[in-house]
Amino acid sequence: MRPPLRIWGVVGFLILLHFGLHLSLGLSESAPDLLVVALLIAAKEVDIGRGAGLGFFLGLLDDAFSVLAFGANTFAMTLVGMGGARTRDLFVGDSLFFLTTYLVLGKWMRDFLHWVAVGEGLRESFVDTMLIQSPISAVYAGVVGLVVIAISGLGWETVR
Amino acid sequence: MPNYKSHANGSRKAQSGLVSFGFFVLSVIALYLPAPSQDEVASLLRGSLLRPFVLAQEGLVRRGIHAADTEVLQRQLDSLEVVIANSNTLSEENGRLRGLLTLSNRNPAQYVAASVIRSGTPGSESMFMLNKGTRDGVTNDSPVIMGRGLLGRVLEAQATRSTAMDWTHPQFAVSAMTEDGSIYGLVQASPGRFRESDRLLLDGVPFQEELEPGVTLVTSGLGGVYPRGIPIGVVIEGSDAQEGWKRSYWLRSFVSPGEATHANVLVSQDGELRESNSWSEGDSVVPGPATLPEESASGIRNTEASTRQ
Repeated sequence: MRPPLRIWGVVGFLILLHFGLHLSLGLSESAPDLLVVALLIAAKEVDIGRGAGLGFFLGLLDDAFSVLAFGANTFAMTLVGMGGARTRDLFVGDSLFFLTTYLVLGKWMRDFLHWVAVGEGLRESFVDTMLIQSPISAVYAGVVGLVVIAISGLGWETVR
Repeated sequence: MPNYKSHANGSRKAQSGLVSFGFFVLSVIALYLPAPSQDEVASLLRGSLLRPFVLAQEGLVRRGIHAADTEVLQRQLDSLEVVIANSNTLSEENGRLRGLLTLSNRNPAQYVAASVIRSGTPGSESMFMLNKGTRDGVTNDSPVIMGRGLLGRVLEAQATRSTAMDWTHPQFAVSAMTEDGSIYGLVQASPGRFRESDRLLLDGVPFQEELEPGVTLVTSGLGGVYPRGIPIGVVIEGSDAQEGWKRSYWLRSFVSPGEATHANVLVSQDGELRESNSWSEGDSVVPGPATLPEESASGIRNTEASTRQ
C-alpha cells in the first residue's frame, strides 16, 4: 500500500514545478511536461471520475495561456486522466516496462488528443508533430517520470 | 455479505463513470465556449491560481534586463544620442517648413515600456503577456513594437496587465505599403513547418507592380488598428501562394518574437494618436499619403479589423 500523502505530495510538487519551469522560467519545450507526469501518477491511484476531474482541472490551468485553442488541453488531459485511471482495472503490476510504456504512451496520447482538438486551421502536420516532436517529448517525460518515481520512493520496487 | 459489497462496488463504479462522463462533457463544452467566455475563464485563472508564477516570471525578466551587459547598453545609448543629435536639426527644419505651409504640429507618439512574459505552455505559442494595462494607457488593439519593428498587438487589456499576440498568430493581419507609399498589400502570418520557420506573406499586390528583394514594408494605417509607418519587414522573394492578377511575396520580419523580453506599447489617448498616423514622428520612414482606390482601402480595413477578438 502506497502512502497517499506521499503520492499527493509528489503530484503537487510536480504541478508546481511544471508551472515554475514553463511559466516562471519560460523554459517552454526544453522543460518536460510534468503536468502529464503528475496526472499519470495520480490517475493510477484514483477512480475514473477523480482521474477525469484532476485531468480537467490541470488541463484548464494549461489552457489559461492558450488563446489559439482554448479547451484543447482540457479535453486532452481529461481523457488522459480517464484512461490512466482505467489502466488500474486493466493491468496489474508495476514493472519497469509497464511504467515506461504507461508514461510514454500517456504523454503521446495527450499530444495526439491535443492535436486533434486544436482544429484543422491551427494544427501542424501529423508527421512533424505526432511522429517527430511528440515521441521525443514523450520519451523525455517518460524518463523524467521514472526518475521522479524512483527518487520519491512511491513503492515501485522494480524502478529503484 | 459479499453480495452487498459487490453491489456497493458496482454502484460506486457506475457513479464514478458518470462523474468522469460529466467531466468529459465539460471539457467538450470548454472547447466550444464562445471566445469571450473562454477569455473570461482564462483571465480568471491567470489572475488567481497562476498569478504567483506570472509574477515570478515578471521579476525574473526584470532582473534579466537589469543584468544585461552594461557595455552593450552603453553602446546603444551612444548610438541613440547620435540619432537624437541628428534628428534635432531635422525636427527644427521640419517645424520651420510646417510653419511655412501653415500645417499644425503632429501629436507625439506615446509609448509604454513593458516586459514580455511568455507562458511556455501548449497552445500559447503566439501569445504573450505584458506587465502594463489600462492604467498605463494600454487598450485593446494597441500595437506592440520592439526594436526595429512591429511585434504584434494587444488582444485584451486589463487593469495592470495585458494579453497580446505576435505576428506568428494565424489571425495576424496588417495593411502594409512600401516606404514610398506606392504599393499596398495585406501582410499575414504564414505558419512554417516548424514554429521557427514561420514567415510573413504579403498578399494582394497588383500584378503590374513588382517588388525587389530587400524592399522594406511598413504599416499603411489603412486598417485603423496599426498607425502608419511602423516597419514590418523586408521582401525576401516572390511567392506563388496567390494566383490570378495579384502577386504575393515572402517577407522577413524585422522582429523575432522569440527574442522579445521587452517591448514598447503604443498607447492612445481617446483614440487620437492612432488616427494621427504619428508613429513615424522622428523616424521619417514614410513620405506623404499615397492615393488608394476607395474599395481597396475599405477591404483592407475590414480584413485588419476582422482579426480583432
